[in-house]
Amino acid sequence: MDLMLLAPELTLAVTGLAVLLIGLFLPVGAKKMLGYLASLGILVALALTVSSLGTEATMFNDTLSIDALSQFFKIVFLVVALLFAIASIKYTEGNSHTEEFFSLGVFATIGMMFVASANDIMVLFIAFELASLATYALAGFEKSNQKSLEAAMKYFMIGSLSAALLLFGISFIYGMTGTTSIPAIAAGAGNLVTNPIGLVAVVLLVAGFGFKIALVPFHMWAPDTYQGSPSVVSSLLAAGSKKMGIVAAFKVFIVALIALQAEWQMVFAILAVLTMTYGNVVALSQTSVKRMLAYSSLAQAGYITMAFVVLTPMALGGGILYALSHGFMKAGAFIATAAVVYMVLSENRDVEDPDHLDNFKGLGKRMPVTALSMTIFVFALAGIPLTAGYMSKFVLFSSTIQAGFVWLAVIAILNSALSLYYYARVVKYMYFIPTDAGKVSEPLPYTIALVIAVIGVLAIGFWSEPFVYWAMEAAKVLIPGGM
Amino acid sequence: MIPVELYIGLAAIIFSIGLYGFMTQRSGIRMLMCVELMLNSANLNLVAFSSYNADLTGQVFALYSIALAACEAAIGFAILMAIFRMKDTINLDTFNVLRW
Repeated sequence: MDLMLLAPELTLAVTGLAVLLIGLFLPVGAKKMLGYLASLGILVALALTVSSLGTEATMFNDTLSIDALSQFFKIVFLVVALLFAIASIKYTEGNSHTEEFFSLGVFATIGMMFVASANDIMVLFIAFELASLATYALAGFEKSNQKSLEAAMKYFMIGSLSAALLLFGISFIYGMTGTTSIPAIAAGAGNLVTNPIGLVAVVLLVAGFGFKIALVPFHMWAPDTYQGSPSVVSSLLAAGSKKMGIVAAFKVFIVALIALQAEWQMVFAILAVLTMTYGNVVALSQTSVKRMLAYSSLAQAGYITMAFVVLTPMALGGGILYALSHGFMKAGAFIATAAVVYMVLSENRDVEDPDHLDNFKGLGKRMPVTALSMTIFVFALAGIPLTAGYMSKFVLFSSTIQAGFVWLAVIAILNSALSLYYYARVVKYMYFIPTDAGKVSEPLPYTIALVIAVIGVLAIGFWSEPFVYWAMEAAKVLIPGGM
Repeated sequence: MIPVELYIGLAAIIFSIGLYGFMTQRSGIRMLMCVELMLNSANLNLVAFSSYNADLTGQVFALYSIALAACEAAIGFAILMAIFRMKDTINLDTFNVLRW
């Protein structure tokens, strides 16, 4: 066992604890350095993860496995965490709880990374909870703001319900197979197929993961939580926490419960269609940009869920690539909104809806960098060519058609066309509706985070070959040898 | 030895009581208690299966999940405390600013 493979997680754990402890001894004015420290720690962890690409190993009695899939998702989580940490430097300025904010963010990232490398359902569940508990607290960070509290309360209640459903489902799987190791469950799934309890377990697990990924009809919390939480936290939730649900569901359904494929494949088909259609239709009428992004995030989760239905290596690669692109696009879009909210609130502290579409009027003149990056993100989310969104949609949808699920691909493509309406509306407000308000200076941390996200989105769009190849390698871990 | 089916039945009943309570109660603390019921019914399952399969993993898992439930309760009560400070009540129906 090579402890170097655990170095990214260890780095983050040390960073999280150091931020928390150092913060105790700093005056409020000097707490800005904590943000730099957290960003530096995440950057080091990212570098360590990239340097260990291509290694394959199992650790701690086969409970953790390092492979192409785990490394891919770890990089997704670290990139999102990096964007989140950089943007939060400005958001937490002058706040006396800065150290808690950053250490919770870092701990949430550790949980997500352990989910990505878990090879045992017990480890997967505990890491899942680590990330969830940290994000519950982050969502309610503005504890004198009713919206933030309501967001945290709804997220916590639904999250703890989903944890209970998951644990109950896992207990049946453990009972029927006598093990918690994911490969061993896959090998000994015979009992699960013949016993009706296997079906009960599948239902409970679909509901548990459905809440986390926010699939319709388990989505009720998501728009409220994404709208009410601080915008930078929404970026971590939508881009990080949701991907954690997806990678956990990949491991549990596609690796461990592949024998029950007939039971869950159709369920995911129905959920995918419902989720993408509902998300896109409801997003059309939203006036709060954060809520619009939340519904668009539902729709995107619906597209990624198609990978569970098609189940060819190429479709899974498409879903995995989509997770990376969505990380960049969604985190970027929420951070751009955070910059606008910051600008609105610094002009007038008592604005009721700082993320209302009206505040985006004339943004092209007022905050040119933010407006341009927001344009790139929403067009990427809609799937305009030469962006990350186009490339991942292309791989995912074309593999769906190849595998014979033409109806599913048609629904998805129609949905993408529909989504262009509400994405383009944001661009219309930013560039074509004039406003009297003057130009404002854009806070540097937000701008840096936006530029990194734009580079990511465009890199995957223009220079997609290595990313597609890399996602395919990750998909091979799920379905060795293809089907 | 009591057959394992009885334990599964008991766990299922406790889980259903918890789920029913979670959906009908409006007080934050009662909802939290219902979540605890659901988590504990899963623990009961894990321990019963563990002894039935003669494999210790389930009991270890149950210990971890008890610790997790405690952490979850801590976070939940922190959020409920903040709600109580703002509203002087923990009836969660009073929290409905966010809707479409």
